[in-house]
Amino acid sequence: MRAHRWFTPWLLVLPALVWLAVFNLWPSLNTVVLSFTNAKPLGGGTFVGTANFERLLTDDQLADALLNSIVYMLVCLPLLTVVPLLLAVLVEKRLPGITFFRTSFYSPVIASAVVVALIWNWLLEDRGAVNGLAQQLGLVSGPVPFLTDRWLLIFSAIGLTVWKGLGYYMVIYLSALGNVSRELHEAAAVDGAGPVRRFLSVTVPGVRNTMLLVSVLITVSALRVFSELYVLTNGTGGPGGRDMSVVMLIQMYSRGFTGHLGYASALSILLFVVTLGPMLLLLRLNRKGADA
Amino acid sequence: MSRGFNAISRREKVLRYALLVFVLLITVGPFLWQLSTSLKGPGEDIYTATPRFLPEQPTLGNYAEVARAIPVWDYIGNSLVVAFLTITGNAIGATLAGFALARLRFRGGKLVLGLILGTLVLPGEVTIVSQYVTVRELGLADTLVGVALPGAIGMLNILLMRAAFQAIPRELDEAAYIDGANAWQRFLHIGLPSVRGMLSVVVIFAFIGAWDDFLWPLIVLTDPENYTLTVGLQYLNSSFTSNPRVVAAGTMIAFIPIVVVFATLQRFFFRGVEEGAIKG
Amino acid sequence: MRTLLARSAVLAATAAVLAGCGLGGGGTSGGEVKATGEVKGEVSLQTWALKPKFTDYVQGVIDAFQQKYPGTTVKWLDQPGDGYADKVLSQAASGELPDVVNLPPDMALPLAKQQMLLDIAANDDKLRTDYVKGGVSAYEFAGRPGAYAYPWYLNTDVNYWNADLLTQHGLDPKKLPTSVDDLIAQARVMKERSGGQMYLMSRKPELGDLANAGVKLLSDDGKKFTFNTPEAAAVLDKYRAAFAEGLMPRDVLTDKYLGNSELFKKQQVAWTTGGGNTINSIKVDNPTLATKIVPSAAFGTPPLYVQGLSVSQKSKNLPTALALARFVTSPENQAAFAKLVPGIFPSTTASASDPAFSQSDGTNAGDAKVLAFQALAKAELLQPPVVSEAMGDYIKQQISLAINGEISSKEALDRAVAKCDELLKS
Repeated sequence: MRAHRWFTPWLLVLPALVWLAVFNLWPSLNTVVLSFTNAKPLGGGTFVGTANFERLLTDDQLADALLNSIVYMLVCLPLLTVVPLLLAVLVEKRLPGITFFRTSFYSPVIASAVVVALIWNWLLEDRGAVNGLAQQLGLVSGPVPFLTDRWLLIFSAIGLTVWKGLGYYMVIYLSALGNVSRELHEAAAVDGAGPVRRFLSVTVPGVRNTMLLVSVLITVSALRVFSELYVLTNGTGGPGGRDMSVVMLIQMYSRGFTGHLGYASALSILLFVVTLGPMLLLLRLNRKGADA
Repeated sequence: MSRGFNAISRREKVLRYALLVFVLLITVGPFLWQLSTSLKGPGEDIYTATPRFLPEQPTLGNYAEVARAIPVWDYIGNSLVVAFLTITGNAIGATLAGFALARLRFRGGKLVLGLILGTLVLPGEVTIVSQYVTVRELGLADTLVGVALPGAIGMLNILLMRAAFQAIPRELDEAAYIDGANAWQRFLHIGLPSVRGMLSVVVIFAFIGAWDDFLWPLIVLTDPENYTLTVGLQYLNSSFTSNPRVVAAGTMIAFIPIVVVFATLQRFFFRGVEEGAIKG
Repeated sequence: MRTLLARSAVLAATAAVLAGCGLGGGGTSGGEVKATGEVKGEVSLQTWALKPKFTDYVQGVIDAFQQKYPGTTVKWLDQPGDGYADKVLSQAASGELPDVVNLPPDMALPLAKQQMLLDIAANDDKLRTDYVKGGVSAYEFAGRPGAYAYPWYLNTDVNYWNADLLTQHGLDPKKLPTSVDDLIAQARVMKERSGGQMYLMSRKPELGDLANAGVKLLSDDGKKFTFNTPEAAAVLDKYRAAFAEGLMPRDVLTDKYLGNSELFKKQQVAWTTGGGNTINSIKVDNPTLATKIVPSAAFGTPPLYVQGLSVSQKSKNLPTALALARFVTSPENQAAFAKLVPGIFPSTTASASDPAFSQSDGTNAGDAKVLAFQALAKAELLQPPVVSEAMGDYIKQQISLAINGEISSKEALDRAVAKCDELLKS
């Protein structure tokens, strides 16, 4: 279908393209240039060839950081793709007081990092609420080191990410649910399909496009996790810094007046390459699904 | 729309409310803590081994203190200007681009889409200073326009709008096409009414993004008179001593507009294809 | 739209120069800049998080300056506490540093190396006589002659103890620990008496603790780190053994600088360190805790914390900027400021004999102030400003591995030194 002059679409995307170029592509290009220098925030940058990339190979903290980011993605992706959709279905129905519930579910998205850290520390620290309850119930003998064990810390942070993401992705799904045909739902109900069947055979196909977009967003943001790990470890990156994500590593090197921008840029480019893989895979899966 | 389908049984109602309350308990903690801290009197401890949510000496004095310490109305005004610019930019720019990418086939369209998707993945951690140099070169340092500019068309919002336009059934479009509607008419009469839900989501995201941002406005703005609310509220964290109760009151004040915007717009989430195009 | 595009093309070029090639040569001499001429005209003054609490004070100082030097106007910018480093960085990178700017030594160092700050010592003969030595030397940097700020206010650390928790768990607030060994011994008592429910210690050692034990951190030319000595390893081993014994909560592994004061406020540990005004700020946070606190002198050499006022070398009005920086840090103005904030102290030699600082009003906060004031006499800058954030983070992480018993103390220090040397060179 082509009922428009050739330049119409370009006219429509032009503003977006300008922003894309000036505020997204251009700074990124800058990052690429920086990665071949030993630049500091206040200059002093000279060309150093591939030295920064060679340093990636000898960085004793990078392997852990990559592993953490990937585990993070693998766990977050299924959870955050599905649970917010269920939540959206739950708050979709107009019941008395539903505005209040919807707004409250969204509130973690906008809560300040400081307060979130405070609350989660109260829950998870050695003498926190969860450990207190578990010990009272006799489930464990000593406190579970949610915030000081290398792997438990990662999973605690994932819990925080999922908790924060619920409301955010719920909102995106809600707007997609408006496009799921009511007739299809009713027809399925008449055919005797229960809620679970209707969810799987009507709702899920109806929001398929949105689901794909959401899963791409989750993949990218999970691989780029920073603030959750940062607040739960007080910025230390866990015992020995082994709970750092790649972005935490980037921040560690780029922060401050003497930040090592060259190396931080090389790390950024590595992360870019790592993120491309799962994203292309997701897009391919989608194409296959659409053909079938 | 049949009545029978919309009505729900008593059992389902109970179940739904039980689930709603369960999720509420999980999500509402930080908000409650903030609220209770902002209402606590000067004689109460803030940091305790277990959180205390009920203020023992409730007072509204902390809110008055915020208003006394900083020109909170001026800051709110500045934040509203930035939010307005950001919302307008995204509502127009992201909608137009999203429509073109979803409903119009054109050479290079795939490439544009690929670049936009790519920006989600692109490294953005070390770019804030170069971003600032750009804005300064445009002559917009220390202005609210300069604060709003980089976020005025968010790449993510374009993708969201594209997904919404894609959800419109092809048949609708084709019917209009056969009727002789051009691209612009199809955008106005079929596209727009069908994506009001996602548009309201984009408006919320744009509003919150503009309202909550701290580091970027701090860097762009120099004159304290131009400060946005998040930057201005930082004055409550003054050197040597800061009162966590007053800080919490300030945070609550920043919270309220977001809640209002969200609660107002969430009604439009469902304005999808059926209520839009078919009726209209 | 076209002009926007054209402008961004120009931008592309300028930013590449800025980001890729740097702003100027580093470190080498750029010729001494002299601030001579008449004191008049407009200058800007940037402070850090003093509004709105100290608006009246700062405005008063500014008014007095304008009165003393007719024809001058001061534009005061106060920046919020959060994000100050980022703000100053973007100002410096775009050549917009205010004429007079409040900088701690670690921010002043890279700016001085880029020749963005005026050498105060070369412009004011009295700098070294009118201000205390520790304050001035905080702004003298290895490999770069001169001093790059007027020291402003000073602070140091004092030990704070929760007397209630001490007595509850078999310790005597009158016999407070006076050394790390003492501390460990008392921590053991507390652990046994409380059945492992209460802790005395709550922080892991940091660079300052190593310096305190007499370890030399940095070579004299400032080019190599030297803290991987057996003495340093012995300090870590002490803490490592204490941790293994269960004398500290596991949280110390992930604590940053403020971590132990957080636990102290929640009354989950009985000891913390903090500046001379700590009790006053706890009074606001947790009023019922404040009265239970007993202060005592820090172990060994106390750390020195300095704030200073630097002058931008690019200032269009150097004489006035210099005069303003000098005026704000004058003995009278500093003394008045320190009286507003009990617990911080003037950096001028004239204030050393001011009885206001050496006499307590009998409260625990007053005692802490006096302890801090006495400590200042021997306080030193323990962590060299050349330690960047990345270095600091890496050092803490390695120490935490050692404390947790995963690698030996010596190995942790060796790794930290190797990484820091590498970062220092690059």
